[in-house]
Formats: sequence, structure tokens, C-alpha cells
Amino acid sequence: MSIKFDAIIVGAGPAGLTAAQRLASKGLKVLVVERGRKPGSKNVYGGRIYAHVLDKLYPEYVKEAPVERWVRKERISFLTEDSGTTIEFETNNVEHKSFTASLSDFTEWLGKKAEAAGAVIISESPVDSLVVKEGTVVGIRSGNDEVYGDVVISAEGINRLVLERSGLAPKLEPQMVGVGVKEVIKLGRKVINDRFNVDDDEGVAWAIAGFSTHYVPGGAFIYTNKDEITLGLVIYLGHGSKVDVPVYDMVEEFRLHPFINRLIKDGQLLEYSGHLTPIMGLNASPPSLYGNGYLVVGDAAGFLLHGGIIIRGVDFAIESGRVAADAIIKIHEEGGKYDGSSLSLYGNMLEESFVMKELRAFRNAHRALDEPRLYNDYAKFINAFLKRYFDVDGTPRKIFSTFKETKGNLTILDMMRDMTKVVTNL
Amino acid sequence: MSMERKIPIEERLNSNAWDVDERPHIRIKDPDQCRKCDSKPCLYLCPARCYTPGSNGTVLFSHEGCVECGTCRVVCPNDAIEWNYPRSGYGVQFRFG
Ligand SMILES: Cc1cc2nc3c(=O)[nH]c(=O)nc-3n(C[C@H](O)[C@H](O)[C@H](O)COP(=O)(O)OP(=O)(O)OC[C@H]3O[C@@H](n4cnc5c(N)ncnc54)[C@H](O)[C@@H]3O)c2cc1C
Ligand code: SF4
Ligand code: SF4
Repeated sequence: MSIKFDAIIVGAGPAGLTAAQRLASKGLKVLVVERGRKPGSKNVYGGRIYAHVLDKLYPEYVKEAPVERWVRKERISFLTEDSGTTIEFETNNVEHKSFTASLSDFTEWLGKKAEAAGAVIISESPVDSLVVKEGTVVGIRSGNDEVYGDVVISAEGINRLVLERSGLAPKLEPQMVGVGVKEVIKLGRKVINDRFNVDDDEGVAWAIAGFSTHYVPGGAFIYTNKDEITLGLVIYLGHGSKVDVPVYDMVEEFRLHPFINRLIKDGQLLEYSGHLTPIMGLNASPPSLYGNGYLVVGDAAGFLLHGGIIIRGVDFAIESGRVAADAIIKIHEEGGKYDGSSLSLYGNMLEESFVMKELRAFRNAHRALDEPRLYNDYAKFINAFLKRYFDVDGTPRKIFSTFKETKGNLTILDMMRDMTKVVTNL
Repeated sequence: MSMERKIPIEERLNSNAWDVDERPHIRIKDPDQCRKCDSKPCLYLCPARCYTPGSNGTVLFSHEGCVECGTCRVVCPNDAIEWNYPRSGYGVQFRFG
């Protein structure tokens, strides 16, 4: 191929496709190179998308996007082998804040938007490396083909081989990422409505800690789509050596837990998937988010907010793709070159957007979330405490003595220390 | 497939759409490292059971069923794995993601 593009984007995920749509709609010649058969065929997540970014960038999404259900109920559970404690939040306001969706469907939809704006998407083409000339990225290499562009955006997701191979990101370390495993289970719309106590278009987002990961740092999740639920878990790989059964058995034990199993009775497995996810936010970013001829967006840049209960990657991916495109458009219109100093505009614009504002605020979240006691001692304690407290048998159960009886190895000092960590970092 | 029972991982992987390349995209480039590797994290952390114990402390690898997550390349402490994405769109085809 000898055509030269204004911009080449590696990866047709939410980040890359948003950048492509935006650039193409301003008349730039854009190529997106994707390794999968079509956009969406290699993407995996948990289950829900926060809609605030779509309101601004794709206002037509309410009618067009493949929304499954609007999240109306939030649940957080601490689970042990035989007990569970759940907090449920429900609101009657018909505010459309987040919805469940299949990431494959949603990504495919973003692909159509980018193509409609004029971007070219080439599928089935894993990019092997960047083409670098005199210290500047000038294109990409896939097999025997080289394609050239004025600027290259890495939107390749967290398993960022291209950046690593080009020496622009260090090798991923286990403590930077978690592995997610997920099952998609068909139940039918009415069954979901009944078992989760929701109406037709209302959904549940549920985070479950404790036994679900065998008390190893990480967490499990359940989301309701229209006709199926997604059920899975994430294990922080920095704690991978504490895992006592293979992760494929762990997700099954979670599914077979009596409290979960009754929810999926007569269900049918439709898909089993796995994917990495960054868990340290900006601490997992490459040393530089831009340089001569390139910039980095989405998961590849570490733009994921992992707040323990809430996991937000898609909205950060979309917003960073938008910011990258706007920076490029500005430089393009001024006829400038894409060197490290002009692309610092991208860095500055990121600081102005919620991407950096929120990620900086949660910069040390992983310090609190990396504490194994949160997933182990506390999950056990809260259940032991309530079990003892509610177990009325004629002996007096005052709160403080029940607390002392059930707190296990936790000391008051641990609790104060952990509480401080959670409150200051989350 | 009823879900209220244990389902072998191979059977669960069968619910996916696949187009597996005959050419493996991942391989153990240095089997000696596996013999010396005590913890063998690949056996526990690969979601698709692509790594299984072999004889004399070795580990066998099969790329069929690989969901292309990248976990093995991150957790292998001995850099014993050569890791690539499948070529030309081969491999797992997620319909839900
Ligand atoms: C288990 C789990 C649960 C999650 N839950 C949520 C959630 O509920 N809500 C939420 O908002 N976020 C969630 N996330 C995070 C979310 O999935 C990501 O943040 C988001 O998908 C990032 O978008 P992206 O475009 O940066 O990368 P990706 O979606 O990973 O897309 C990258 C694209 O690049 C392609 N690609 C990669 N390498 C190459 C190459 N060399 N050549 C060509 N193409 C390549 C890939 O095939 C893919 O299409 C979750 C993630 C996981 C793993
Ligand atoms: S972790 Fe690496 S070295 Fe250890 S057994 Fe697995 S592949 Fe071999
Ligand atoms: S990439 Fe993931 S699924 Fe494939 S072999 Fe490695 S750990 Fe297993």
C-alpha cells in the first residue's frame, strides 16, 4: 500500500473508534487497523457503560446504540461460603446514568459510526510494530505491509504489544493488571425481571467480594442484560500466587455458590471469555503518553478508573480518543508537525478533561485496594458479626461483645489503619 | 447446557465461536525454564486451561481454546513464553464480549 494517511489508529476498540470518528468527520484521512474479524470480536469487559460521555459525543445513542438495560439497582455483597451481606441501592429517578450492553455489539456500533464519518477500518490485521524513522513514528507494520501516516494513535488496549515492541512502554508487570474471566448466561427477559426484581428495561449492577475470589484481592460481578446475565471475576495478578484453584474453577465455584446458583437456574451458557484489565490507573501508564509521531489512548494509556466497586474503562477510552482527535485536528489545521512538543497539546487537553482530573484524584486507589484484608478478613468479619448478632438464642448479644467475638485476627489498629487508607485514597 | 453443575472448561469454551489457526500463536520457547519453575502460575491463571502439567515438571501448551488475554505472558516469571496475537483474525470470535 502506498497511500499515506493523515492518521493511523491501532485497535478498533472504544478509544480508537471514537478518535477515528472524530478525525474523519473533520475530513482527515483515517485508517483504523484491527486484529479481529470485525470491531468488537476481540473486546471483553464486565457489563456497563457510563453514559455521560455519549451524551456529548454521540447524542443519538439513546435511539441507536445497542443498550440492554438501564442500571437502576446497584448491589455490593460480601460473600463467604455460607453467608452473604448485601447493600442494595435503588433509585426511582429515571436518570439515565449507565446502561448494560454487550461490548462486542457496542464496539461494532462505534465502528459503523466511524465508517459513516469516512474512516477506513481494516480488520483481520494484527499490527506487529511501529515504523520509526529518525526517532519519529511514521507508520505501522503488519506482516509484510507497511502503511504510513502523519501521526499514529495506539489504541491497542492493555495488552500493548506494539508499544512494548517499539520500546515505548515497559513490559507489563503482574501488579499492574488483573485477569478477568466471564460467563454469559442466557435466562430470558422475564426470568431476569422476576429473579432480579426489575422491570423490562431496568438493570442490576452487582459487585461481590470475598469467597467469589477465594478471598484474594479482586472481585466478582454480575450484570443483567435483556435476556442474559454476565457473571465473572477479576483477580489482581500481583496476588496471583495466592490463588489456590485455577481461575476457570474459581468462576465456576462462584456460579455454583448457593446464593448465585438459584439465580441462574435453567440458564444456558452462551460465551466464556477472558481479558486483562489495568488496575493501577496512571501508575500503569507508559512513561510518555505522546512523543514524536504518536500518542496513546484508552486502556493502552492506563486510563481506567478502578475504584474497587466501580470499574470505568469505556468512558475513559471514549473521552481520551476524543481528546486525542481534537489535539490532532488542531495541529492539522495549523499545518503543524506532530512532534513531541506540538503533541504536548494532547497532554494539556487531557488535564482539562475528566480523564486526568478523575484519574489523578484516584491515583493511589490501588494502595487501598491492594490490601488483602479487605477481601478476606473484612468479608468474613461482617458476615460472622451479623450471623452472631441475628442468631437469637437467649444469650445476650451486645454489639461490642459480638464484635470482639467475631473480628477474628483483625485488630482495632488494623481496622483504623485500613479505614484511613480507604478514606484517603478512594 | 444446564448451568447448575460443574462444566469442564473445555465444554464451556465450546460455547464460543472459534476459527482456530492450525499454526499456534503462542509457544513455550524454553521448556527447561518450566522444569525449574516451582510456582507454575500459568497453570492457575490461564482462564482457558491451555497450560497443563506434563511429566518431570514440564508444562504442556495447547493454543486451542486460548482466549488471547495475555495473562500467561505477564505472569510467567521466567520469560519462557513467546507470545503473539493470532494472524488474520483467527482465534476466538466474541459475540458478546
Ligand atoms: C473483566 C473486565 C470487566 C470490565 N468491566 C467494565 C465495565 O463494566 N465498564 C467499563 O466501562 N469498563 C469495564 N472494563 C474496562 C473496559 O473493557 C476497557 O477499559 C475498554 O474496553 C478500553 O477500551 P480501549 O478501546 O482502550 O481498548 P480495547 O477495548 O481493549 O480495544 C483494543 C482493540 O485493539 C485491538 N488490538 C490490540 N492489539 C492490536 C494489534 N497489535 N493490532 C491490531 N489491533 C489490535 C483489539 O483487538 C481491540 O479491538 C472491564 C474490563 C475487563 C477486562
Ligand atoms: S510460568 Fe512460565 S516458566 Fe513457569 S511453568 Fe509456566 S510457562 Fe513455564
Ligand atoms: S493468552 Fe490467556 S488464554 Fe491464551 S494461553 Fe495465555 S493465559 Fe491462556
